[in-house]
Amino acid sequence: MDKRPLKGQRVLDFTWMLAGPYATRILADSGAEVIKVQCKKMAKGAESNLGGYFNTWNRNKRGITLDMSYPEAKEIALRLAKISDVVIENFSPRVMANWGLDYKKLREVKPDLIVVSMSAMGQSGPWKNSVAHGATIQALSGITWLSSSSKDAPSGPGYAYADIIAGLYGALAVLAALEYRDRSGQGQYIDISEYETMCTLIGPALMDVSLNQHEILPEGNRADHISAAPYGCYKCLGQDRWCVIAVFNETQWQTLCRVMDSPLWTQEERFSTLSKRRDHAQELDELLEQWTGTHTSEGIVRLLQEAGIHAGIVQNAEDLAGDPQLKARDYFVSIEHPVLGMTTSDTSPVHLKSDATTGWKTSPLLGEDNQYVFMDLLGMKEDELSSYVEKGIIG
Amino acid sequence: MKLSDNKNGLLSGIRILDLADENASFCSKLLADMGASVIKVERPGGDPSRRLGPFLKSSSQPERSLFFEYNNSNKRGITLDIEQSAGREIFLRLIRKTDILVVTSYPGYMEDLDLGFDALSKINPGLIMVSVTGFGKKGPRSRYKSCDLVACAFGGAMHVSGSPSCAPVKPFGEQSYYAASLFSAVAVLLALRSRAQSGKGQEIDISLQEAVTSTLDHVMVRYFFDQIIPKRQGNLHWDNSFCILACKDGYILLTLFQQWETLIGLLDNENMADDLVEERWYDEAYRQEHLDHVIEVLQRWTMTHTKSELFELGQLMHFPWAPIQSPAEVLKSPQLQARGFFMEMDHHGGDMAVKYPGMPYKFSNTPFHQRKRAPLIGEDNLSVYQRELGLSDDQIERLSSLDVI
Repeated sequence: MDKRPLKGQRVLDFTWMLAGPYATRILADSGAEVIKVQCKKMAKGAESNLGGYFNTWNRNKRGITLDMSYPEAKEIALRLAKISDVVIENFSPRVMANWGLDYKKLREVKPDLIVVSMSAMGQSGPWKNSVAHGATIQALSGITWLSSSSKDAPSGPGYAYADIIAGLYGALAVLAALEYRDRSGQGQYIDISEYETMCTLIGPALMDVSLNQHEILPEGNRADHISAAPYGCYKCLGQDRWCVIAVFNETQWQTLCRVMDSPLWTQEERFSTLSKRRDHAQELDELLEQWTGTHTSEGIVRLLQEAGIHAGIVQNAEDLAGDPQLKARDYFVSIEHPVLGMTTSDTSPVHLKSDATTGWKTSPLLGEDNQYVFMDLLGMKEDELSSYVEKGIIG
Repeated sequence: MKLSDNKNGLLSGIRILDLADENASFCSKLLADMGASVIKVERPGGDPSRRLGPFLKSSSQPERSLFFEYNNSNKRGITLDIEQSAGREIFLRLIRKTDILVVTSYPGYMEDLDLGFDALSKINPGLIMVSVTGFGKKGPRSRYKSCDLVACAFGGAMHVSGSPSCAPVKPFGEQSYYAASLFSAVAVLLALRSRAQSGKGQEIDISLQEAVTSTLDHVMVRYFFDQIIPKRQGNLHWDNSFCILACKDGYILLTLFQQWETLIGLLDNENMADDLVEERWYDEAYRQEHLDHVIEVLQRWTMTHTKSELFELGQLMHFPWAPIQSPAEVLKSPQLQARGFFMEMDHHGGDMAVKYPGMPYKFSNTPFHQRKRAPLIGEDNLSVYQRELGLSDDQIERLSSLDVI
């Protein structure tokens, strides 16, 4: 028997791209019946059912087609909302209202419904209609600026971090609202701002700037408030191979010196205390890199970790796919897809007792569950469904 | 109004004991913000994460850590030495009244004290215990030492961040701790739902490394589906769709491929489109091949404008452009101000209110109000030990003299 925690909860899912689909993937993996709404003309690019991207973020979901540009589609959507626990979307603010599916309308058909909007900026404010992708949000939130090797070369995280973070906040908000609904009988409307989700992750820096009236400049891996030296990323043997090393105290420093066979420079006065090592961090890093450069990343990290020093391999995608730790913890899952064959994706850091991945299914084909959803759940007759299909409303 | 009296919070009535250090103190902060009642349990003298900067007035005293402040607001705080037998007894009494326990100690530490999940769930079968460690409690690297830098390296965030000509760059701040805390908070609420069905709690084993790997968006997707090992691209977005360019007063994030004719129209209006008006540039594949030239022409144009001019112009034309903002600019953002995102709160030892991020979501039925700054060391000892556990003044005095609390 399926004992997953969200068994019996139904989510009507209007989300697309990454932030929204990541939120609903968490819900789907946890047993919720997530019904993803697509239509032919939108099922392109990141939303193409046979793409790797779509397949990674939409597994375990059901898929239907419903073209919301037809007025009749609204009535069908409302019928679906009536039998759902959660309705979730990540469009810009006007879209749901234009379709006649704003919270007020949805609540009329299901008073305890939980409705979640995950827009870039939130539903209010002067920038509410701004167009934004993950990269846009990262630029606005300060994380791009701060995560750079210097103030003259802003780069930021090399992936849409903000979308995953917004997705996590989205799932968290749904779960908290379900908890509240079960206790109070009440649903609610949740307005999430992806911009704000990113800003919560640099909280201490924002407080620092506001209070201490100074500016924080990007310094690569170094940061003023980190009390460690050496602390950084060092070149190793091989093409684009790197390790990280962090030494927080005197004992660890002595250990590092020993592991390096105590080269003469380690005895120098300028490196004799943590604060002196911090003052001469750049020189220290250069000397240390002469040592790391003669070792493989794997070898050096094993050596240092066995001696009790914080060290890590800078892993690339191939390293991660073969990582023995991730393997031992079943972090990746492979599922057979009817068209694509075997597909592999990440599970989640959340491994609950009831979360066996054995029953997991790949993402839906376009309209794969039309019959189940429209006939079995909504009770449409076959001729009713086919007339909608003929008009292009479903399909 | 006292924290515990708030009946209308999303998570009112849920009781959390937070033994976490910097690795996961954000987990129970997220839940405290939503109305859960959280008691931070620190060792006598204070949690080590109080030593983490930045600090108020840059003075590194344990009650002035802004990192601690941010991650522990809305919690109450007690001190307790669970390694001493008297402290252990009190801890077990607290566990009876607890729904969720968050720990970050190294794998085996709680078990060695006979306070592992199996022991604790005998006392409270409904207990949900979340353990956040560098690599998780199981697996060949479970005893490796970790910190944000190590987690971001092993997790894969660094390899794809930064300029190709420089060393990989770790995302700023303690991102692995925040990501792991978000996953932990989600896990807690899922486990609460399971408990509602089964009556039983469970232990949840969260790995910082996995939390980082889970945020990588395209990285593993392209590896598994397209056999590509993504690399660092500096100011260029992974799929070349965006580029960060210098402008008059800083940097702007610009799109390179979207609505090409509109983009070139903007440049051409100012006679700055150069040869990009020519027919061959309409072909996207051609542009991909000669990206350097496109970027060069665009940058000549952006250098004649300010960040805010380009942001406004871009948004007007529906381009997802944005200025590369600094924290000071984030604090002044008209959007965040209009939504009342920043909260102001008096800070201990400060002479001015601290401005800090509130919640990124608005719940129509359970509005959020920031209520309480982070606790001072042992600030709530009396109210918890006396009122909730019923210890006498004498008992508390004795425990305090033994350095148990």
